[in-house]
Amino acid sequence: MATWRQTDSPAPMRQSPAAPSLRARGDQVLVLLVLLAIWQGFSLAFGTYWAGSPWGVATRLTTGLLNGEILRHASYTLLEAVAGFLIGALPAAALPFALRRLPIVTAILDPFMVGGYGAPKLALAPLFILWFGIGIESKIALVAITVFFIVYFSALAGIRALDAKLVQMAQVMGASERDVARHIVFPGAVPYIFTGLRIAMPYSIGGAVIAELISANRGLGYLIQLGAMNFDTTGVFVALVATTCIVFLGNWSVNAVERRLLRWRPPPDLETQVGS
Amino acid sequence: MAAPPLLEVRGLSKRFATRTGREPSPWVIQDLSFAVREGEFLTIIGPSGSGKTTLLNMLAQIDTASGGEVRFQAETAPISDPTRLSPGLSCRIGYVTQEDNLLPWRTTLQNVLFPLVVQRRLNDQTRARTEMLIRAVGLAGFESHYPHELSGGMRKRASLIRTLVYDPPVILMDEPFGALDAQTRTQLQEDLLRLWSLGRKTIVFVTHDIAEAIALGDRTLVLSKPPARIAGEHTNPIARPRDVSGIMTHPQFAALYRAIRVEVQ
Repeated sequence: MATWRQTDSPAPMRQSPAAPSLRARGDQVLVLLVLLAIWQGFSLAFGTYWAGSPWGVATRLTTGLLNGEILRHASYTLLEAVAGFLIGALPAAALPFALRRLPIVTAILDPFMVGGYGAPKLALAPLFILWFGIGIESKIALVAITVFFIVYFSALAGIRALDAKLVQMAQVMGASERDVARHIVFPGAVPYIFTGLRIAMPYSIGGAVIAELISANRGLGYLIQLGAMNFDTTGVFVALVATTCIVFLGNWSVNAVERRLLRWRPPPDLETQVGS
Repeated sequence: MAAPPLLEVRGLSKRFATRTGREPSPWVIQDLSFAVREGEFLTIIGPSGSGKTTLLNMLAQIDTASGGEVRFQAETAPISDPTRLSPGLSCRIGYVTQEDNLLPWRTTLQNVLFPLVVQRRLNDQTRARTEMLIRAVGLAGFESHYPHELSGGMRKRASLIRTLVYDPPVILMDEPFGALDAQTRTQLQEDLLRLWSLGRKTIVFVTHDIAEAIALGDRTLVLSKPPARIAGEHTNPIARPRDVSGIMTHPQFAALYRAIRVEVQ
């Protein structure tokens, strides 16, 4: 059989994944330096008591890292955040799938989910400490409940955005209900779930730190609280910088997993991905 | 002509559900009857909005009929009850839709293999057939590309062979080449005829392009404006194999074109 002639050329090929250009990286360093200079100027004008100083924070951070103090507290916070993230996100992603064929149940649950989503989670922290104690459990619970509602609504949006035509085509080709769920509904919802995960990630670390602020004897939130009680501004900043580093790490992890799972998507606009 | 038709439509009618408080919705299709013989390439032509896609959706068993019946191999399909619809009648009716409807998260090869995967028919033989089809439509080298990395014509080809790969006895096609440029379109028409000449599947091909209907079909049905009925039937005298790109210069083309043109309104 003769091979068919190629009359049309393929669409523009995959460009390199949206890596920020060197230029953008350089500009980012520039912005960082400007921010540090403003901070330094502020502390020179008002004294380190109010704002610490970049240099002082850097020195303390180095010492803390070298003697393992920072890592000990950071890893504790990270453990709470990761455990709570998984405990909250997994059922939140699975629930809309389980309820896919039960729209009435979804509708009944809806106001409660909206309420849960909107309720200020910070206000729950004292309750969780009452119920789960001042140990790691109450922090994990607070993180989990925060993450749960965010991811639930993202996954639900993913299920609702399902393309009915793709389902019909699959059924014409002989796909069973299970095949449709596995090969069409789930892959179609994954980008939505990842949007939820990416939004929930900083909240998980924030939730852990806030729970520690209220009552803890370990963790970055505890360090912040300790610094505040001792009027140690530099100590507070050191803990904040460490928290920010964890957020970056978490963001990078979510993006790495997403890039791997969503290779099939057209490359996103370059600039939106810069710095993530 | 003694053999019973493979696919038969009797008194088929369709109107969409009326919304509360509105006038009853009009009939899209009313009392439509025709039959398709085994191995026949039937083209159906009609003006825009004449219910062509609705008709194919009913034949593919993904939409219900308001009246009448569809019989496949003398067996009546459960087409009036939405809960008993059997899309594709157990993989016996294939459907190439207007849009390619490829799954964006599957590569070209994975998309083409999809029917075999869900039908649990993936083996060395079917894989070899898939590879043959991919080569035959010029998609070799693009097996691991995702749909967004293919051109419109390539996506169309992938969607076409995705149905050919599981070899359903009847294939419905809904203006599959409608959105393509003229050159790609002619190429794909030639390709389709070549594949068809190998297997002689039964094909019901819907289009609004008279030249396309003549170039491809053994027989052409003309649908009227809604409510759609058969406005004309033409047996195509042009011998095969046909030269698709030069079909308009064929001596018998002009008369057939004019006869159909009069009926398409």
